[in-house]
Amino acid sequence: MAEEKKKHKKRRTATQAAASIGPMVKAAIGGTIKAKEEGKKTAYTFIVCLYDEILRAMDIVPVWTENYAGVCGAKRDAERFLERAESLSFSRSLCTYALCGLGFDQWREELGEMPPDAPWGGQARPDMMLSSGQILCDPRNKWYQAAQQFMPDVPIHNVDLPYPFYEDDIHYSEVQDYYIKHIMEELRGLVAFLEKQTGKKMDYDRLSETVDLGERTWNLLHETYELRRAVPTPMGTGDAMNTMVPMAFMLGTQEAYDFYVGLNKELKEKIARKEGVIENEKYRLLWGGGLPSWFALTDFNYFNSKGAVFPAETTYRMIQPIYNMYMPDTNDPIERLAWRWFGYWVYWYDKAGKRPGSHPDVEWLIQYIEDYQIEGVVMHEAFSCRTWHLGLIWQLNQLAKIYKPIPVLVLGKDGREKKAGRELPSLVLESDIIDITTYSEVDTRNRIDAFIETLESVKQSKTN
Amino acid sequence: MNEKNISIFSKVESHYSDYGQRARELKNEGEKIIGYVCSLVPLEIITAAGCIPFRIRGDVHDPITKGDTNLETIACPFYRSCFDQSVKGKYDFLDGSVVAHGCDSMTRTYAVWQYTLDLSYSHFINLPHTLSKSSMEFFRAELNTFIKSLGKFAGKEISDDDLAEAIGLYNENRDKVKALYEFRKPDPPIVSGTEITKILTVGASLPVAEANKLFDEVLEELGQRKESPFKKARRIMIDGACVDNIELVKLVEDLGANVVIDTLCNGTRDNLPHTDTGGDPLSALGDRYLNKINCPRTYRENKEQDLQKELESRFGDIGSYAREFNADAAILYVYKYCDPFGFEVPARKAYFDSIKLPVLYLEDEYSAGTIGQLKTRIQAFLEMIQ
Repeated sequence: MAEEKKKHKKRRTATQAAASIGPMVKAAIGGTIKAKEEGKKTAYTFIVCLYDEILRAMDIVPVWTENYAGVCGAKRDAERFLERAESLSFSRSLCTYALCGLGFDQWREELGEMPPDAPWGGQARPDMMLSSGQILCDPRNKWYQAAQQFMPDVPIHNVDLPYPFYEDDIHYSEVQDYYIKHIMEELRGLVAFLEKQTGKKMDYDRLSETVDLGERTWNLLHETYELRRAVPTPMGTGDAMNTMVPMAFMLGTQEAYDFYVGLNKELKEKIARKEGVIENEKYRLLWGGGLPSWFALTDFNYFNSKGAVFPAETTYRMIQPIYNMYMPDTNDPIERLAWRWFGYWVYWYDKAGKRPGSHPDVEWLIQYIEDYQIEGVVMHEAFSCRTWHLGLIWQLNQLAKIYKPIPVLVLGKDGREKKAGRELPSLVLESDIIDITTYSEVDTRNRIDAFIETLESVKQSKTN
Repeated sequence: MNEKNISIFSKVESHYSDYGQRARELKNEGEKIIGYVCSLVPLEIITAAGCIPFRIRGDVHDPITKGDTNLETIACPFYRSCFDQSVKGKYDFLDGSVVAHGCDSMTRTYAVWQYTLDLSYSHFINLPHTLSKSSMEFFRAELNTFIKSLGKFAGKEISDDDLAEAIGLYNENRDKVKALYEFRKPDPPIVSGTEITKILTVGASLPVAEANKLFDEVLEELGQRKESPFKKARRIMIDGACVDNIELVKLVEDLGANVVIDTLCNGTRDNLPHTDTGGDPLSALGDRYLNKINCPRTYRENKEQDLQKELESRFGDIGSYAREFNADAAILYVYKYCDPFGFEVPARKAYFDSIKLPVLYLEDEYSAGTIGQLKTRIQAFLEMIQ
């Protein structure tokens, strides 16, 4: 493993902004340890939890446990923590972010200090753990409960944050009142818990300002990523796996907003210079689902070496423009947060309803395919994560069934050629988020080579 | 056994091996059949709508093939098998399906079921993860949405009286299951774990009134067993999720032990908790399905910040059943890729240790192909606890 770590090359980024993320994350992780030493309250929590701004407004330092597991994976140093979790009877088939975190926590608690050579100084012991009983991830509901076995003195607060599923016979507007009411109640319950833990009251004016900053960050990020529609695209998914950090880990801070101001400027300058991710952009691809293998981000460079770029991705684009959502006229920041959550999840519902056979997840793909002039779709199936990786195959199948945008000539029954449409080529890569033992570089790259050949063949057979 | 009694168990065997035969008949008679997989689907509402709930089973003997073309292999193997059987047409009599927010494997594949099976009706019930007052109110509203949706499909306005009647039928059903379990208490037990698994599995494929009648007949037959047909042996508890086939239980019993109690979804977890009567039926149903069914997907707050008290509050039912049925040891049986149970394994093992009940933890695929491996491990465990 040490040899593997030594040999592994860093991914080349296309933007300065993406290159600046590594040090930023390192500083943030170091910052949580320092904050703890300074007596500030720290909380284990998850990204896309909705309550980022609540934590910021109460000066609680979030410790993003998924992030730390991802860092261990990216540094190819997750294995020892995964093995430790396995030795405690956690199955290796469970979420490896959680296993890595649990292995780390148990080790730290056993030693009474950070495990030896912990990546980037280690993960701070929290004062509290904020579970997310969301509809999207079982481990978010179970991870901290399992961690409490090693830290029984650290309290948990679990926030239930549902959203309605897409149904044929029920429009989301029919259920939104009780969804919003419940989400607001849950957020208020969280505030009460945090007030108890910190011994201070929430400053709602400050929360309003923080939520406003968060909303502006969402809008700015959306507008910035829309710049990637340009041909050649100035930024790819590889970079987006870095530039998601301020949105996911720093929402509600000026630093996050300023980061996207800088990225926006950089992309505009690159577009003006017609400077793409690569010199000769041949194939424009959509990263249509699945978390990346953090230890193998150089695969994006490999795609680039074959002339392929990713102008868009659905992964970690966990924002939609607020100005396109319903937002009530209210001064209550809790209510705004609830509507933002609801609006994000139902964002594609109405559009999906207008296309026979469509579904919000499929509609999202179609919209990006059209907006970003996409020629092929790539997904990644991470074996340990059901949350983001179940349903991907079906989405591709359904996409192929209802959406055939490539004009080709086919032989009709009468023996004559006629115009028809065919589906976009697609590729599903298989590995994991941080478990490197599931990954084969040779196999992955062979698959990419074959996919590139398919893209070329489709290009050749395309009629215009 | 007299002829009548033979015919009762023959009937159970027939419905078990040709699973869904009665639902198919009812479909041909014009009834609407609604499939479900998880214990968290409120059957009372389906029955109150005049439809027949039908529990979809997997098949450990049939390799998953067609289902894998639309569903990733990283899903719960039990759920994959249920999907595979469904797309292969085994349950082609279904008019609809209802999925509850049980786990990620169910939740994240709702659209896959919805679009692939293309049934006339489908509905997702959003259970909260927490037991706060707001969660209970939310769940009540969510059940009300289900009532309206299903009522529209069934062409029936579901009244509180309809619900109360259905609640009564299911409570009666649970009383009968409790009575069946009483026959497991003697040493040796009067009824085997294999028989109980078959009876309860078959019951979930029938309209509740017919299941009640069947259980009555089985109870009558069991009442006539003056002596146990089984030998005294180690008394085993099975703890885990959904085990809808006899293979595991039969294996343990073939190896010389008696399976006398369980905390499984299609055992005590689902079949014993009652719905309160006399008040608002929807709130009572909400309380039963969210609170009373002790599923690891529902978060129960650790108020004491004390590990032992926490274990007792989460798993106390395991200890109660183990004591009540005088279990000597337990098998904790969890499917691969099961996040809700998988993250609890160390805590459950710690609980078993705390009540001094030896436990064997098995992680398994949903496949008869693993029987050999299971046999070796169970055999060693049984030898160890002799």
